[in-house]
Amino acid sequence: MWTELCFSYLITCPMKHVVKIMALLVAISSIWVGLLQTSIIPHSHTWLLPIYFVVSLGCYGLLMVGIGLMRFPTCPQEALLLQQDIIEAKEFLKQKGIDVGSD
Amino acid sequence: MGLADRAVGFLLSFISLSIFTYYTFWVIILPFVDSDHFIHQYFPPLEYAILIPVFAGVTLLFFLCVFIGMVILKSKKKKP
Repeated sequence: MWTELCFSYLITCPMKHVVKIMALLVAISSIWVGLLQTSIIPHSHTWLLPIYFVVSLGCYGLLMVGIGLMRFPTCPQEALLLQQDIIEAKEFLKQKGIDVGSD
Repeated sequence: MGLADRAVGFLLSFISLSIFTYYTFWVIILPFVDSDHFIHQYFPPLEYAILIPVFAGVTLLFFLCVFIGMVILKSKKKKP
């Protein structure tokens, strides 16, 4: 559902989405550069922050994929009906002489 | 089939959560802990916190390029 909303948003106004992402990136990098300049945290740790964000983004993507897999709804009756439809269609096309590929 | 999917999904989310907590602990919490705490022996030194993600990213990119190359070669062989 979230991905559908994302796609519909992307199709209607792609520019706004890109501008949003760019603004977020600029904000994060400005915070990082500010941290570097004022040196609240020692320097070695400030250099670790971008890599930490990339790793956490990858982890978040993996988590979303895992959760989506867990909540994926299956419809066994529809699957059976679909199989029957496929067999009917193959029979029909074979009669008409069209090659339906390997079984 | 649904059960296998659910198991794979659960495994994936568990792996991602554990990697996230371990990495967060390593990079953010551990620098603020005293050097002679016992917990430090469970975590490698901090340079590895940069090397391992970079190495994994480069390996991923490498496999991606190899895969794309193989697909292109296969399609070129079929239609000469």
